[in-house]
Amino acid sequence: MQPPQLADQLLSFFCSPHRLEEIQGDLHEEFAFQVKRMGERRARLRYWREVLGFVLSSASKKRSKKESTTHRTNPIMFRNHVKIAWRNLTKDRQFTALNLVGLSTGLACTLLIYLWVKDELRMDTYNEKDEQLFQVMANHFHEDDVNTINHTPGLLADALAAEMPEVEHAVTVVPASWFSSKGIISVGETRLKSGGQFVGKDYFNVFTCPFLQGDQNSLFSDNHTVALSEEVAIKLFGTTKDVLGKAVKWDHEEFSGTYRVGGIFANSPANSTEPFDLLFSFNVFFVRRPGMENWGNSDPSTFLVLREGTDLDRFNAKIRNYLQTKDKTKTQLFAIRYSDKYLHGQFENGKPVGGRITYVKLFSVIAVFILLIACINFMNLSTAKASGRIKEVGIKKVVGALRSSLVFQYLGESLLMAFLSLIIAVFLLILLLPQFNLITGKHISLEFDGTLLLAIVGITALTGLIAGSYPALYLSGFNPTAVLKGKLKTSVGELLVRKGLVVFQFTVSILFIVSVLVVYRQIEYIQTKNLGYNRENIIHFEIPLEMDSVKLKSAEGFLAEIKTIPGVVNASSYYHNLTGDHGAISGFQWPGKPPGKDIEFSNLEVGYNFIETLGMELKEGRGFSNNPGSYNEIIFNEAAIKSMGLKDPIGKTVKFWDRERQIVGVVRNFNFESLYETVKPCFFQVYPVMPNIMVKMQGGTEQQTIARIQKVFEAHHQGLVFDYQFLDENYQALYAAERQIGVLSRYFAGLTILISCLGLFGLAAFTAQRRQKEIGIRKVVGATVGNVAVMLSMDFLKLLLIALVIAFPVIGWVLQQWLHNFAYHVDLELGVFIIAGLSITVITLLTVSYQAIKAALMNPVKSLRNE
Amino acid sequence: MKRSYLGEFEEIVLLTVAVMEGGAYGVAITHEISEQTGRAVRLNQVHAALERLEDKGMLKSEMGEPTAERGGRRKRLFTVTAYGRRTLQEIQEVRVSFWARLLNPFKPATSL
Repeated sequence: MQPPQLADQLLSFFCSPHRLEEIQGDLHEEFAFQVKRMGERRARLRYWREVLGFVLSSASKKRSKKESTTHRTNPIMFRNHVKIAWRNLTKDRQFTALNLVGLSTGLACTLLIYLWVKDELRMDTYNEKDEQLFQVMANHFHEDDVNTINHTPGLLADALAAEMPEVEHAVTVVPASWFSSKGIISVGETRLKSGGQFVGKDYFNVFTCPFLQGDQNSLFSDNHTVALSEEVAIKLFGTTKDVLGKAVKWDHEEFSGTYRVGGIFANSPANSTEPFDLLFSFNVFFVRRPGMENWGNSDPSTFLVLREGTDLDRFNAKIRNYLQTKDKTKTQLFAIRYSDKYLHGQFENGKPVGGRITYVKLFSVIAVFILLIACINFMNLSTAKASGRIKEVGIKKVVGALRSSLVFQYLGESLLMAFLSLIIAVFLLILLLPQFNLITGKHISLEFDGTLLLAIVGITALTGLIAGSYPALYLSGFNPTAVLKGKLKTSVGELLVRKGLVVFQFTVSILFIVSVLVVYRQIEYIQTKNLGYNRENIIHFEIPLEMDSVKLKSAEGFLAEIKTIPGVVNASSYYHNLTGDHGAISGFQWPGKPPGKDIEFSNLEVGYNFIETLGMELKEGRGFSNNPGSYNEIIFNEAAIKSMGLKDPIGKTVKFWDRERQIVGVVRNFNFESLYETVKPCFFQVYPVMPNIMVKMQGGTEQQTIARIQKVFEAHHQGLVFDYQFLDENYQALYAAERQIGVLSRYFAGLTILISCLGLFGLAAFTAQRRQKEIGIRKVVGATVGNVAVMLSMDFLKLLLIALVIAFPVIGWVLQQWLHNFAYHVDLELGVFIIAGLSITVITLLTVSYQAIKAALMNPVKSLRNE
Repeated sequence: MKRSYLGEFEEIVLLTVAVMEGGAYGVAITHEISEQTGRAVRLNQVHAALERLEDKGMLKSEMGEPTAERGGRRKRLFTVTAYGRRTLQEIQEVRVSFWARLLNPFKPATSL
């Protein structure tokens, strides 16, 4: 029976050698005794405790005066190690700086990405019942395509709660983002733009939304109650106390009116994708928009809390054809985890195809590569440098250094460097974080949790250990006489490894350059693509509009007045958002409709002159007649006509919502959603005026025109703020994620290339230095500066060529996959590869040739003088 | 008093070494102390005390014979020096004189 070996090793490491024998002997004897007394397991435990006692106490550490001073923990030697390390670092400052900058930038980038990824993964996970919280999604079937949206009938939640035993709670929600713009809440003179969310009765059983004041259920007591977020309450009243029961004014589409404050809730957490400032009862929505009581009308979102242990697949199979029991439709339902939707919210043909998770994965990969490159650099440079210290190793061994003390010294040195970079990296991170938050629109703060700390310290230590292990383990093993005679040659294996690492660095840099170029082009393409309508010089804003005839007349008057303003080309109005969500309507009847066939149409409710103002092209027919007669007119887009299979559509009649309408025109397809999607069937119905006003202006004098519009607006709507947006800005907002990715990937690619260049620069300097004598001799026998420079650069260019051959096929394939996400995308051209290849070659040549030329210009007399 | 100060534990260790007459080494001393006093004593504490006593010149030591259960390692055997013996005696004398001056010697409790 043996005592624990590891404990023995620990002891022999810490214990001073002249005491080791007796102490270990005593420990072993005691162990044998204790095994008999209390059994092996407890004896081993006790052994460990004893050993730790010895390690910690001073008893074992006192040393006899006869002992050798080369012992590793001797303070004098330690001071010497520090001194040598410091001299080495300062002797070649450029080199030290290269090494530190490279590793710390790499570490900082990686940390930044780690924080970003962690933040992404945390989105929407703040609800207590997160594990059981699901959102109902709907698959709408079109001719040759399935469209997955998160709008469901307003009646669905209650019906599911009543009929499905798996559903514990269900709630209907119209999130603040459903509206094309925010509303304005006011008390006296204080006005605030706020997002209002409408929620059903079970909301507080489904989502976590703690109330600071008031009762959650008071919200549902009548249709004139509102709950405010803490932030809004403080801005409006200056306090959250004694606010309950006070009246606030709310201006937002048809929900405008006076409400009573029923409660104050804690602000939406930063990791919520649907933040809101106000809460209304869904009843308020129901009353003002009675169309919601129709199963064919999908606008709100439905959220479910499923009972614990519910099998999602089985539940999804149950609700798949649920809507068919209520309505004539082909739309199918399914549920997904609410907190998964943020990252996995993209669907194609009704199947999940990822979503933002792609970017999260992409950036994780980038982070790993950056870290790898930085670490490789560090190792390459450190080992290259260390091979110059071989004489130092020889001398040390001659004067009696133990191998273990050399290992300790070199490992310690390189660990020191690595941790120095880590400290610099953390400072860099603190500097960069505000800027990073600005680009990504996040609120990331530097929080060090256990895993992060462990991971980053682990990675740094590993880098330091690997970098230091070459001199520590390899160089220290040589015979000192051979080393001092200078007989040591760099082995082929070592060169191969170093070259391999350089090729890897090149490959990754090329991957980054090509991807950045392609991503950039695609974003450019999207932003300049012809959408089928003209979005330039168009502003839009909202007016309060209630459906009574007096108010409607005044709104019409307002619109008419705007059209007379000089600089205004045309003006119109619309209900839904051009770049956002649209309600979907099914249950159309059209001539020659095959039985059983149904199509979901996007519904665009627009005011007079809409098609003209946006400059949409008519394929056939005419626009709306823009008078009360147009109440019975309807216009489709090409896609709609195609999926209905109508020939000569003009003049035909379609029927929906029990009303007949005549088709007067067909517009050419235009992209009303993001370019991720192909064009969906849609139709227009026209009303005299709608709450979102849209004004097309003449180019060049927009500012003056806007000022004039503002005057008219304020004259008509006293006390309201004129708050307008440009249409093309909205369009750009659609691609916010892509642009963020574009900007970030450009930065990170830049940094990667920079780090690689630092490494190359260092390596080139090192090779030039090693071949100093050779260069000297070459020059003596007649080589020109050019010859030598080319010779030195060629070595690196060969490696670059290998990297190009590896990188191009890989990146070509990956990018092809990414581009296929877009319905409209640029082609992968050869030009991109040529540009990337050329630029990396130029960068390499610039980096390397500086060193090469410097070496070639050296006076051979100097480099050959001493031997 | 000119002699070095002795801690309570050191005194016990020194006494134990004296009692064991030449057979005193780490493990044996540890076992003896825990048997006699009933305390849980750990090896490293005993070693630390032994080392301090040796530094103060109250103990001297030499390496003994290796045994099998120690994995062939030798033991360090301790003996008390003259100085150590005198120190112990002085402590004892101080205590005896105090006890003698006690007017009401404690009686062993026979009942509660």
